[in-house]
Amino acid sequence: MAGLTRRQFLKASSGGVVVATAGLAGCASSKGELEAKRGRRVVVVGGGWGGSTAAKYVRLADPTIEVVLLEPNRRFVSCPFSNLVLSGVRDIKSLTFGYGGLRDRGVKVRHEMATAIEPDSRRVRVGEGYLTYDRLVVSPGVDFQLEQVDGLAAAGDKVLHAWKAGPQTTALADQIKAMADGGVFVLTVPPIAYRCPPGPYERICQVAWYLKTNKPKSRLIVLDANQNVVSKTALFRAAWQAYPNIDYRASSKVVKVDAGTREVTTEFGDRVKYDVINLIPPQRAGAIAVQADLVGADKRWCEVDHVTYESVKHKGVHVIGDSTTGLPVPKSGTIANAMGKISADAIVALLDGRPVPEVPPLNTCYSWVSDREVIAVVNAYKIESGKVVQVEQKLTPGQSTLYAQHAEGWAQSIWADVIS
Amino acid sequence: MLRGLAAALALGWLMGAASTALAGPLDTPGYTKAVTCSACHGANGNSRSESMPILAGINVAYFKKAIEDYAAGRRASPEMEPFAKQVKLLGVDEIATFFAAQKREPSPGKPDRAAVDRGRAASTVCATCHGPEGQGDAPKLVPAIAGQPAGYLRNQLLLFKTDKRSPGDPALIQLKSVLKAISDETLADLAAYYSSLK
Repeated sequence: MAGLTRRQFLKASSGGVVVATAGLAGCASSKGELEAKRGRRVVVVGGGWGGSTAAKYVRLADPTIEVVLLEPNRRFVSCPFSNLVLSGVRDIKSLTFGYGGLRDRGVKVRHEMATAIEPDSRRVRVGEGYLTYDRLVVSPGVDFQLEQVDGLAAAGDKVLHAWKAGPQTTALADQIKAMADGGVFVLTVPPIAYRCPPGPYERICQVAWYLKTNKPKSRLIVLDANQNVVSKTALFRAAWQAYPNIDYRASSKVVKVDAGTREVTTEFGDRVKYDVINLIPPQRAGAIAVQADLVGADKRWCEVDHVTYESVKHKGVHVIGDSTTGLPVPKSGTIANAMGKISADAIVALLDGRPVPEVPPLNTCYSWVSDREVIAVVNAYKIESGKVVQVEQKLTPGQSTLYAQHAEGWAQSIWADVIS
Repeated sequence: MLRGLAAALALGWLMGAASTALAGPLDTPGYTKAVTCSACHGANGNSRSESMPILAGINVAYFKKAIEDYAAGRRASPEMEPFAKQVKLLGVDEIATFFAAQKREPSPGKPDRAAVDRGRAASTVCATCHGPEGQGDAPKLVPAIAGQPAGYLRNQLLLFKTDKRSPGDPALIQLKSVLKAISDETLADLAAYYSSLK
């Protein structure tokens, strides 16, 4: 056994050789192909906004194609609107959905983690087995660069990001609720590019609104790594007029956190004490994209074809959503949903050997600036010489309850589009 | 010989099956261009939300006028102005034809019965142009309003009343003068009534 590599051992055991060695009991025995592949198959890695949409729309465009969706989480929790959970305006249950709708459409949902991609053999590793694909969609969202902030990895759950809606969202809401009146809440904004450009500023509005309403002596200190508010700048600045409890500090990149002394340090050496911290770390494409060599020279984001979303590095692998780069689009839920649909149609066209339709994405980002008022940014695009080009960006003229109604309508519609 | 015939028949059947399988949504004109609209307007234009209009079954000419008005800023909407420009670049005819061909599924909203009854009683004036069932008058570009979401209808009525939707449009002068005499509460009742019509 000593001379046998793990790969050789896996190969041997998948070939039917049973190795009955006590020391190896329960260890690596290859399960081989996890689902017998009969016809054409698309495997989707990641059941968020992009991946769920892609899985559904491949089935809609051609129900003869088998679709397997790999997503470790059993429930889909919407990041859009999750800032309203922090202010207590909304319950996280209203943002939580199961995968039954996708199953009803014939998507084979497996709550397992894809561990590796083998583009040459067109296989995705899942535990000790694998799934063979004709086309692969990778929609892993973002992961955090914890190493960019000294002390962050060691702090564990004592320092929350709440930047993937779920348990951290409710945990942070509980911390804000439990904070004494007069306490200091510190929120840090990472340098671009990160998931949801207006998200941190909407969060500032929601926490400021909550504190103003419930803890009038408390303050909210914002340490923004960027030189200014990076999205809907004038609209957020106008909204903040209603919140004198906000202390916004631009060009204040946080490089260190000490969960023991409850203190963060900026790159210029400024130290800020907190009672509750929300540290949104710097981000890159989800781990599997990095492991599978889908990221570019920056080691952070994945470059793709603007029409098919096929990776420029690996054939047959399509990357969508927040982990992509090179398109003039924000890392938003609407964009991921659009990419899911466009890539699904492209994949079906490619599998059928027909021309791929050239369809640009579109974007709407609604932001709640209080418990009832909303602002929005909208982006329209076209495709020119095979590249996505912005046609126009437009902002709402101000904040209003009418846009809040539109935001609710958008959410109801797009959640159904993604997950039912 | 027989075997050859059987094989030929089987091949023909297979080819037939194959071409049937190929005639999927991707062959439907406009499907791939309209696909991104579902983020707000629902599957095949059948919005299930309160504030987004249903596009399924829409009159082609009415859809095209709406896109032109949005794109030109005559019908002010920070959301639809950019998207209308995108639709025009993609091909408004194809997208209009796609939505017009979809079966309209009435809004799932359940308006308050009392509001529906009050709306019905107040609806005589609307029926003059929109028809007794709110089915509209396509040649005159009067839209079908039956089964649209109540929240959407109410918002549009308020925008008309305050002259914020398409100011100066000569086709809307009569509508706006009628609405100015109707209270906001009754407009909400009218929206509930027309939304309840299936």
